[in-house]
Amino acid sequence: MILAVLFANSEGNILVERFNGVPAEERLHWRSFLVKLGADNLKGVKNEELLVASHRSVYIVYTVLGDVSVYVVGKDEYDELALAEVIFVITSAVKDVCGKLPTERLFLDKYGRICLTLDEIIWKETVTFCVIANEHPFAFSSMDTAANVLPHPFS
Amino acid sequence: MAQPFLKKDDDHDDEVDYSPFLGIEKGAVLQEARVFNDPQLDPRRCSQVITKLLYLLNQGETFTKVEATEVFFAVTKLFQSRDLGLRRMVYVIIKELSPSADEVIIVTSSLMKDMTSKTDMYRANAIRVLCQITDGTLLTQIERYLKQAIVDKNPVVASAALVSGIHLLQTNPEIVKRWSNEVQEAVQSRAALVQFHALALLHQIRQNDRLAVNKLVSSLTRGSVRSPLAQCLLIRYTSQVIRESASNTQTGDRPFYDFLEGCLRHKAEMVIFEAARAITELNGVTSRELTPAITVLQLFLSSTKPVLRFAAVRTLNKVAMTHPIAVTNCNIDMESLISDQNRSIATLAITTLLKTGNESSVDRLMKQITTFMSDIADEFKIVVIEAIRSLCLKFPLKHRSLMNFLSNILREEGGFEYKKAIVDSIVILIRDIPEAKESGLLHLCEFIEDCEFTYLSTQILHFLGIEGPKTSDPSKYIRYIYNRVHLENATVRAGAVSTLAKFGAMVDSLKPRIFILLRRCLFDTDDEVRDRATLYLNTLGADGAVEDMKEFLFGSLDIPLVNLERSLKNYEPSEESFDINSVPKEVKIQPLAEKKAPGKKPTGLGGPPPGPPSTIDAYEKLLSSIPEFANFGKLFKSSAPVELTEAETEYAVNVVKHIFDGHVVFQYNCTNTIPEQLLENVTVIVDASEAEEFAEVASKPLRSLPYDSPGQTFVAFEKPEGVPAVGKFSNMLRFIVKEVDPSTGEAEDDGVEDEYQLEELEVVAADYMLKVGVSNFRNAWESMGPDCERVDEYDLGPRENLAEAVNAVINLLGMQPCEGTEVVPSNSRSHTCLLSGVYIGNVKVLVRLQFGIDGPKDVAMKLAVRSEDEAVSDAIHEIVASG
Repeated sequence: MILAVLFANSEGNILVERFNGVPAEERLHWRSFLVKLGADNLKGVKNEELLVASHRSVYIVYTVLGDVSVYVVGKDEYDELALAEVIFVITSAVKDVCGKLPTERLFLDKYGRICLTLDEIIWKETVTFCVIANEHPFAFSSMDTAANVLPHPFS
Repeated sequence: MAQPFLKKDDDHDDEVDYSPFLGIEKGAVLQEARVFNDPQLDPRRCSQVITKLLYLLNQGETFTKVEATEVFFAVTKLFQSRDLGLRRMVYVIIKELSPSADEVIIVTSSLMKDMTSKTDMYRANAIRVLCQITDGTLLTQIERYLKQAIVDKNPVVASAALVSGIHLLQTNPEIVKRWSNEVQEAVQSRAALVQFHALALLHQIRQNDRLAVNKLVSSLTRGSVRSPLAQCLLIRYTSQVIRESASNTQTGDRPFYDFLEGCLRHKAEMVIFEAARAITELNGVTSRELTPAITVLQLFLSSTKPVLRFAAVRTLNKVAMTHPIAVTNCNIDMESLISDQNRSIATLAITTLLKTGNESSVDRLMKQITTFMSDIADEFKIVVIEAIRSLCLKFPLKHRSLMNFLSNILREEGGFEYKKAIVDSIVILIRDIPEAKESGLLHLCEFIEDCEFTYLSTQILHFLGIEGPKTSDPSKYIRYIYNRVHLENATVRAGAVSTLAKFGAMVDSLKPRIFILLRRCLFDTDDEVRDRATLYLNTLGADGAVEDMKEFLFGSLDIPLVNLERSLKNYEPSEESFDINSVPKEVKIQPLAEKKAPGKKPTGLGGPPPGPPSTIDAYEKLLSSIPEFANFGKLFKSSAPVELTEAETEYAVNVVKHIFDGHVVFQYNCTNTIPEQLLENVTVIVDASEAEEFAEVASKPLRSLPYDSPGQTFVAFEKPEGVPAVGKFSNMLRFIVKEVDPSTGEAEDDGVEDEYQLEELEVVAADYMLKVGVSNFRNAWESMGPDCERVDEYDLGPRENLAEAVNAVINLLGMQPCEGTEVVPSNSRSHTCLLSGVYIGNVKVLVRLQFGIDGPKDVAMKLAVRSEDEAVSDAIHEIVASG
C-alpha cells in the first residue's frame, strides 16, 4: 500500500502530507527522514527526474517540481515502479493546476485546488488511466478515485 | 485572508517569501467559516475558507469535537449552492472532517440526491463520500445505485464505485460480494482505468476461492487486458496461482509460464518488469526459464530512468542469492552502475557483484569498492560490509585482501552501527577462518587504540581474552590491552583488567608479568576496576585447582541476566548468603494464555501476573503458597500453556506443566465464557492409566468460576525422583453449574453437576529440559570435552524439506538453538544445528545435529551429544531414537 505522500518546500517545511497506515508516533520520523533524503540528494536534480531509495522493506520515489519536492512512500505491491506511476500522476496533476512548474507561492496560492485535485486526481487528454487513493490496490489516504475529464472547479 | 505587510517597491523580490497562509490562525478561520451560513452564499469566498481549513488540517492542526461539529453543520449549508467548484470542495472537506455516525444523517439525503444527479462529477464524488462515511444499514439502501454506478458509462463514476467497493469490502463484505456480476461486466470495460479497478475488486471478492481465482486468471490470460496496471495485477494473480498449483504438477511445463514469458514483450515497461520479477520468483525456477527474464532485466540496467535501473538491479540482487551463475552475464553492466549517481543503485550493484563474482575477480572488485566507499552513507556501507563478509566465507583463500580492506575502513570515520558491522565481520572471519586469526586480532588491537565507542572496546577486549591466549605469541597483545588501563574510561579499564587476567590464567609464561600489571590496577580510581584486579589477583594467585579458575574466568554465565537481576533485587540481606543456584535458568516462558476481565480482581489464589519477565517467579510463588505442594522442593521448569479446548468453546482451559524433581503439577487455567453461568467446585479428573510411573497425590479444586474471570485448579502427581518419566493423561472437567440472571448478576441457589471433556495431555522428554543458551557454542563444546560424548546416526525418513526435519528435532528435545542455527537456508542440502540446555538434575547438555538430505527427500541425521553426565548423553539419544 501507499504509506505516505508528502510535499515539502525547499527548506524542508511540509506543505501537504497524507499518511496511510502509519502510526502517529512514526510520522515525525518519516517526515524528517524524507526531508533529509531530499536535502541530501535533490540538489541540482532536474525537474521531475525521479530518484529512488529503499529503507528497510519500504520504497521511496521522490522528485523535485519547481520549488516543491514530492515524496511518495510505499510497500508491498507499491514497489518503485508502481510508485513511479503514482508520482507521475501527482506531478502532472500539480502542474496542471499551477499551469507551470510551481513556485512555493504559486503552490500555496493554488492550495485549495491542489487538495481537490489530489482528492480526485485529474487526468486530461492523452491520459487514459490514473492511479487512485485509499489503501488498495494502487491507492492512498483519503484521496481516492479517479479520472476526471471535467474542467477544474475554479477555471 | 491574512496578508503580509509588503512595501510597494520590493513586493516583486518578496514574492517567493509571500505565503497566502502567513499568520493563519485556527480561531480566525473558524470565525470566517460563518460565511457558510450567509443567506447569499459567495462560492468563491466559501472555497477560500475551505482551502484554509484544509491547510490547517494538513499542517497537523486538530479541531475539537465541538469545533469540528460546528464546521460540519455549517458546511452542510453549502449544498444549497449550485456552484460546481464549491460543491466539490464540500465533498473533500466532509471527508476530512470525518463526521460521527449521528452527524452523518444530516448529509446523507443531499449526497444520495447527488448520487443520482445528471452531473457526472456529482455522482462520482457523492459515491466516494457516502461510502466513506456510511455504515451497513445505509449501504443496503444505496446498494442499487452503487450497482448501477459500477456499470455506468462514464469511467469516472464506474471507478468511483469500484474503488469504494474495495474499501467497503473490509467493513461490509457480504454486501460487496453481491456485486460480483456487475464487477465482472466492468472487467470487460473499454476504459483501462475501470478495467484495472474492476479486476482488483473482483480478485478481492474471490480471493478465498482458489478455483474461482484460477478460472479468472485462465480466462483473462487468454483475452486481452488493455490497462497496463491491470496487466500487472493479472501477472501477480498468475504467480499466485502458479505457486499454489506447483505442488500438484510433478512433471511437465509450468502452467501459465508462456503467459509470463509473453508479457516480457509487452510495450509497457511496468508490465515487462512485473513479468520478469514474477519469473525470477517462481519456486524452483530453472535456468532455461530464467534466461529471458534476466535478459530484459539486463536491458533495464542501462536505462536512463533511475527507477528502472533500481528495479532491475534490486531484482537481480535477489536472483543472485539463489542463482548467482544466471546473473553473471549482467556483471559488465552492473560494474558500470558502481559509479551511478544514485547510491542505492550503486550499493545494490556492488552487493550483487560480490555475490556473483568468482575468486579471480575479488581483487579487482575490492579496488573499485575502495573508491566507492568514501562517498556513500553509513547505512549503505553496512550492506557492503555484510556482503564482503559472506564473500570472504565463500572464498577463504582471499581472506588477506578482504581482511585488509576491513581494517582500512575501520580506521576511517564512521558511526557506531557501521563500526560495529565491521568489527562483527572481523570477529566472524577470525572464528571461521583459522588462518585469518592472527592478522584479524592485530587489526582489532589497533582499532581499540583509537576507538571512541566503549561498547566496541569492551567487546573486542572480551574477544581478545578468549582468542588471544591461544595464538602463537600471546605476549604481543598485552601492550594494547594494558594501554587501555591507562587511557580509557572506567568501563573499558575494567574490561581490560578481565582480559589481562585471562591471559594470565591461560599462559603460564606470562603469569608473573600479568601479576605486576594487575597489581598496578589496585590503585585505580574506580571501584569496579580495583575490585576486579583484587579478585583476579586472588583467583590467579590461589593454589586451588586450575580447572576451577578457568571455569570461573571462561565459563559462560548460564543464567539469563534478567533472572539474575530480579533474584538479586528480591534477595534480602541476611545470615544466609545469596545462592546463585537459586536463580531460575529458563530463558523465557510464554505468558499465561488467559484473559483478564478488565477491572476485576483475579479470583481465589490470584493468577500470576502475565508477561515473560515475572512468569517464572510468579509460578514459583503461586505453587509455594499452596500447602499441598510446598514440600515438593525447587521448581525445575514450567512449560508454556497447552490448550486443552478448541478456540471459542464454552469453557476455555489450558494447562501448564510444572516439573519438580519427584513431582509433576498440572495447573489448569480455566475460563468460563458463558455470561449466564456460574461454575462451582471446579476440578479436573485425570486418568493416568497411560502414564504408569505417575501416581496422583493431590488435587486442589477451584471453588468458584464466574463468567470471564479466569481461575486455576491443580492436580499433582508423584513420579520417581530425577527420572524423566513420560506419559499420556486424559482430562475431564467436572463442576457444578448454576444459572445466573444476566440482569442482576445473581446466581440461583441450586446447581447441577456436569462434565466437560478436555483434550489429552502428554508429559514428554522435552519437559525435563531447560532452554538455556550459551554465548559461544564452540568454546562451550570444547570446554565440555569428549569424555561423555555420545555420537550416533539416525534415518529420519522422507521429509518435506530440511527445515521441517530440523524443527522436529528441536521440538522433540526442547533445547535452545544457538547462534541462529535453527534457521535453514532455503534449498540447502545439508545443515548443522547447535543446541544447548540443562537437563533435569541440573546437568548441562550440548547437542550438535548434522542433517543431510538426498534425492527423494530422505533425511539422515548425525547426533553428537556432550554433557556432564554420560547417562544424560545416553538419555538424549534415547529421546531421539524413540521420538
